[in-house]
Amino acid sequence: MNRRDKLVKIVGVENFTDDPKALETYAKDFSLQPAGVPDYAVKPKDTQEVQKIIQVANDHSLPVVPVSSWVHFYGATIPKKGGIILDLTRMNRIFEVDDFNRRVRFEAGVTWEQLTSHLAENGFRVMLPLLPHPQRSVLTDTLEREVITNTVYDYGEPLQSMEVVWPNGEVFRTGSASVMGYPDSPSKGANPAGPGLDFYRFLQMAQGTMGVVTWANLKTEYLTQKDKMFLAPVKDLNMVMEFLYRILRIRIGQECLLLNNTDLAAIMAADMKKDFASLRSSLPPWTLILVISGHYRNPEGKIQYEEKTLNEIIKNEFPEISFSDNLPGLPGSGEKLLGILRKPWPKEITYWKNRYKGGCHSLFFITKPTLAPKFVEKMESLASRHGYPEGDLGGYIQPIEHNRACQIEFNLFYDPASRPEVERVRTLASEAAKTLLDQGALFTRPYGELAKLVYDRANGYAVTLKRVKKLFDPKNIMNPGNLCF
Amino acid sequence: MAISKEAYKDLEAIVGKEYISSDPVVCEGYRSGPGGYECGLGYERVMTKIPGGIIMPRTTQEVQKIVKACNRYKVPYVPYSTGWYGPRSHCHVDDELLVDLKRMDGFEIDDKHLYATVESGVIYSQLQEEAMKRGCYIIVGGGGSQCSAIANMLGDGWSPLSYRIGLPHRRILGTELVLPDGEVVKMGSLATGEDYFWGEGPGPDLRGLLRGFTGLRGCLGIVTKMAIKLLPFQPERLVPTGISPHTTLELPVKRVKWINFTMPSKDSMKKAMFEMAKAEIGGGATKVPIFWRAIAKATCKEDFWDIWSQESEDSIANFHLLRVLLIAFTCEEQMDYEEKILNEIITELGGEARRTRPSDESWFKNADSAGMWLMCGSYVSVDYVIETLEHAIPHGENYAKLKPKYTPPLMPDYGDPGWFQSFELGHQGYSEFLVYWDPDINTDGVDHFYLETSKENIRKRFYTSLLGPHQPLYLTGPAYGPNYHTWLLKVKDEFDPQFICHPPVPLAHDAFVDKAEWMRPMKDWESPEIPGS
Amino acid sequence: MLKGKLKLDVTDLDNFEYDMSKCIKCKGCTWVDHIYMPGMTFSTRCPSATKYLFDSYGAYGKMRIGTAMLEGRMEYSDELLKILYACTLCGACDVGCKRNLDLEIELTLEALRIKAVKDGKGPMPQHKKVAQHIAEKHNRLGSPHANRNKWLPKDVKPAEKADVLYFVGCSAAYTSPEIAQATAKILNASKTPFMLMPDEWCCGNILYSVGMADEARELAKRNVEEVRKTGAKTLLLSCAEGYRMWKVDYPKLLNISTDELGFKVVHLVEFVDELIKKGSLKLKKKVNLRLTYHDSCSLSRLSEPWTPWEGERGEWGMVSPRLERRRGTNGVYQQPRDILQAIPGVELVEMIRMKENAFCCGAGRGTREAFPDFASWAAKERLQEVKAIGAQAIVATCPFCKENFAQAVSKDGEKIKVFDISEIILAAI
Repeated sequence: MNRRDKLVKIVGVENFTDDPKALETYAKDFSLQPAGVPDYAVKPKDTQEVQKIIQVANDHSLPVVPVSSWVHFYGATIPKKGGIILDLTRMNRIFEVDDFNRRVRFEAGVTWEQLTSHLAENGFRVMLPLLPHPQRSVLTDTLEREVITNTVYDYGEPLQSMEVVWPNGEVFRTGSASVMGYPDSPSKGANPAGPGLDFYRFLQMAQGTMGVVTWANLKTEYLTQKDKMFLAPVKDLNMVMEFLYRILRIRIGQECLLLNNTDLAAIMAADMKKDFASLRSSLPPWTLILVISGHYRNPEGKIQYEEKTLNEIIKNEFPEISFSDNLPGLPGSGEKLLGILRKPWPKEITYWKNRYKGGCHSLFFITKPTLAPKFVEKMESLASRHGYPEGDLGGYIQPIEHNRACQIEFNLFYDPASRPEVERVRTLASEAAKTLLDQGALFTRPYGELAKLVYDRANGYAVTLKRVKKLFDPKNIMNPGNLCF
Repeated sequence: MAISKEAYKDLEAIVGKEYISSDPVVCEGYRSGPGGYECGLGYERVMTKIPGGIIMPRTTQEVQKIVKACNRYKVPYVPYSTGWYGPRSHCHVDDELLVDLKRMDGFEIDDKHLYATVESGVIYSQLQEEAMKRGCYIIVGGGGSQCSAIANMLGDGWSPLSYRIGLPHRRILGTELVLPDGEVVKMGSLATGEDYFWGEGPGPDLRGLLRGFTGLRGCLGIVTKMAIKLLPFQPERLVPTGISPHTTLELPVKRVKWINFTMPSKDSMKKAMFEMAKAEIGGGATKVPIFWRAIAKATCKEDFWDIWSQESEDSIANFHLLRVLLIAFTCEEQMDYEEKILNEIITELGGEARRTRPSDESWFKNADSAGMWLMCGSYVSVDYVIETLEHAIPHGENYAKLKPKYTPPLMPDYGDPGWFQSFELGHQGYSEFLVYWDPDINTDGVDHFYLETSKENIRKRFYTSLLGPHQPLYLTGPAYGPNYHTWLLKVKDEFDPQFICHPPVPLAHDAFVDKAEWMRPMKDWESPEIPGS
Repeated sequence: MLKGKLKLDVTDLDNFEYDMSKCIKCKGCTWVDHIYMPGMTFSTRCPSATKYLFDSYGAYGKMRIGTAMLEGRMEYSDELLKILYACTLCGACDVGCKRNLDLEIELTLEALRIKAVKDGKGPMPQHKKVAQHIAEKHNRLGSPHANRNKWLPKDVKPAEKADVLYFVGCSAAYTSPEIAQATAKILNASKTPFMLMPDEWCCGNILYSVGMADEARELAKRNVEEVRKTGAKTLLLSCAEGYRMWKVDYPKLLNISTDELGFKVVHLVEFVDELIKKGSLKLKKKVNLRLTYHDSCSLSRLSEPWTPWEGERGEWGMVSPRLERRRGTNGVYQQPRDILQAIPGVELVEMIRMKENAFCCGAGRGTREAFPDFASWAAKERLQEVKAIGAQAIVATCPFCKENFAQAVSKDGEKIKVFDISEIILAAI
């Protein structure tokens, strides 16, 4: 039997394609990565089928590119060397919602929309990054370390145990799901660590290069009982950073983030054609968004003491900060924004990053908050040098864990149909990445071309990473051409 | 055959004469037992040796050179921060070099960004004090405040304060690791810069090599520097008071408070922890095993036994003490808010507050582990597992059922089902089962019990922390993953092809079972020939 | 002896087999009590472990070495002797361990030295010289015995007979006469008649401390008898080492309790504190000094009275009859502080490591004689702390401490003033 037939036999003909037209879907995504065409695409229904596919791939030294959804922004799932697209979208079961231990177990193909609505029915939620695409895989986004908007340490690192099919075709459970017979066991899979090695760490941000994660356990949280939105216009980023050091340190707030006027307008505009431009110009350069929430018992009490302390700090130390519950001149915007923040992006509306011009390249990195203003200034100057309209630069600063660090994301909007715009963004992004890296920006998620830049700098790390990878994937069949592999 | 003269000369050139010794008296001082964690047991007697030499580096560069020299001359070596973890942290083969890291006491703190960067010689109480001076705090792992912060962060790193600030794996940031072949890998933000502030990446996270839940006992390299997360605390000082042995931290009760509650049942304790987590209040929540209270009250060993002999199966079965920590991180009003909710929960569940001293002897600066030896002069935890509360409670009960068969030599505990607590705001639960025995009588039964618990975990599908180097790898390996051991050994083989980094770990317990004639009958699993058997 | 009959008798190391074998390597013997841990600096209270670094130099290493000695697995060597003797027996290890456990670390260390002497290997050559001085001239320095009372100022007349007998000691008699003079003047000023020994001999502190138990016992017998003959009710000392020797080690050597000596042993600070609180002594003169108080080991953690004990050790290592262990809790900590705080103008700033956490000066119990560099190093370590707290002066209650600090100060050209508490008290009268 040839390899094609083997694959058909595993998944059934209706879940297999090698039709060039159908394969085009997988050849490109929303990123600037050049297209790459796979040889096949298969849609397994469960782990056993995944396992068999991997075995075939090994036998024939065929690359495997795991794909959990059909929405991709960073080019990670574009095949660099052909091979098999392992389309996991059929694997979209939510196995269990564990009320007592606040956990949910679900497959790789489960989307944000699916998971959040299911959990909400049960009174739960998962911590969200900023406006995740509703059709994206929750598991993938979590593995890829998307930063959440909630700054409270307690909610961080929600990933628990997982099931993975290793590149040699073996099925393996990580953490406390590694017990025999899981989930039919006293172990619920709540511990991500072990056994023997912290395999979960190797799988994080691996872009499918270390194995295929088929399901995962994730921490869930209760829905909040009451929320209060605080919005403040920001001109002086330095001052607001000091403010955030002060308040986030004493655990005021849940979600806390900064959006510049371009990003916020793209999010809030009801009608892009009618509202975006005016909204963008009416919004302050940056908006500080802070949500204070009350939980299950006496939610008002929590909001009360946090708000009191917040106000005292503002009065005594940061009188320049002026919160209100709405954006300037936009009644009801606070409530609207809170609603937006608590759900994935609505699927009926074009994804916010694509609303403005159709295309968006995001450049994001980790840094210390005190350095954020400097990076913003640098990026603005680079943008200007490249002729990128300053007003078009999207900016998002996400404080992390009580403001120990932050993620800065610059969004470069472009019309994908305009070659000059595409090229401008490409070269700007490239130069910006290099400059920012030189100035200490930490790119922990090196997608596409960023990978070479980062791993040249992190050469020692890359060498060790390759040594580990080789143990798991000696034939380098898992998504080759990504990261440093 | 001692460490060769040539090798010794090269090693001496790295650190200087003052910081290396092969003198037999000096080496004797590094013997594992007969006292200490897990000491006096078969593993310690059979598997440990005194070092052939001791070397004390000061910098990562020196450590790297030492490791390379060991590779060059095939000198087995073991990294050693304090030696606190008992035999598994000591030399296991003849003429082994013990790399004593106590001179590496570098320390930097950036409380604005909530992290401290430490070297292997820094202990928890030092770090905690520096953190608290700056309005932050850390978890002092249950191993005790005398533990090297790095060593404990690699193998333990939790306490009742993990209710709020959780799993230790989350608190490791930029890390520097000298691999067994002498290469240095810098993780997290160190990979591309000089700052230690971030732990992840770039890309896949090589911190996966560090722990594997409860550490690899130094058989996969030497961590020389690590940044550890600090968590925001509250601004008031916890004041040290009293004179030894009654020293304690006086708590600023408007901001930090322990409260003990008697609860009507174990189930109500579990529910209380659940409700607390649901309400998202509290800084710590733990069951208090009755013998801890006896230790705390006892003025001496004999006094402990007077107190303990008053207990019975009935009193143990009916004693349910829940100890809760409240921390007003944000402001004083938070204390009132949380205390009201807590009392509401406790009342709903039929519990009652007890008079509780406004002090902390145990968990902020002085994790009370040294006191664990008071009763019998011996101690080991046969498991300390993070999973869920639903796992934790039956896990302890199961061990309690198994224990009578091995009592004596184990200390009678009237069926105490172990310690449990809530972790990560209820997302996880923790169980620990501590055992004690008279070390001066035949202790084979303890060795048997220790191994039997591993088999019981496998039979009953419990997770366990005693994987990797802690139990026979060929026993636990096939049962978890499955076959995690094959990956662990592949990694070990890749980075330590000469098998000189703390040999024969991670196969040391396998070797012990093969070597000790009282253990061999317990071997009912397959394994290839074990090096060092 | 792990189980069976047992005595707190330092002349037989077997009595401490259990203690040595149960050391858990927690290094409570080395670190400052974790509750009081000040952070990254001034974190330890064992000078030997801090200076020499190898585990073998800490009590936790010595317990293992001691087990090997008992089991005949350890050959004597220069290194072994250094490990046993480069140690001030300051008791930090003992108190640190006893915070949590019931192990007799200090007694074990004493027993190890006694064994080394019995085995013909110890003490250090410098100690042997001191022993010779004591045997020949009744003082540790080898100075003429006839000069022992030369310190007496003309305006001080000891009584023929009095309830209080002031035992001066070799240091105050010969090398730090200002301490003896101040003490005598304080007694005078408080109208306390006092005697001196008709023929004062060395207390034997160094003999006992280095393991020459037999010689020390002979001296103890003689000295106790001489004091009893005077009918003194109170033996007063201004030397912490001597104080400990009389109060703790004499009874230990003679197998009696402190109470059974037949007289009270007090340090000057205990005496003066009582006088102040009774109103019999008023400290009115201003002493403008920002000073710190150094807890001399023998007056603080090592000073609890001695009670002999013998019994049995059985199941779980329990002993019977019940033994009330000396854990350093009731040492003389507060009285010197109360005295200093009663003096107008004095600003008392506490050391970072204080009371039972104090870092030994490095001089006592034979250390300075055999390891002068180590003693000097320890003093300098302690003086760093004085600088860190911004004190102008350090005050101790022992001439060993004073001399060692003073030497370190003059060597390094430091600006810190070094006093004995007797001098400060006198200045305030």
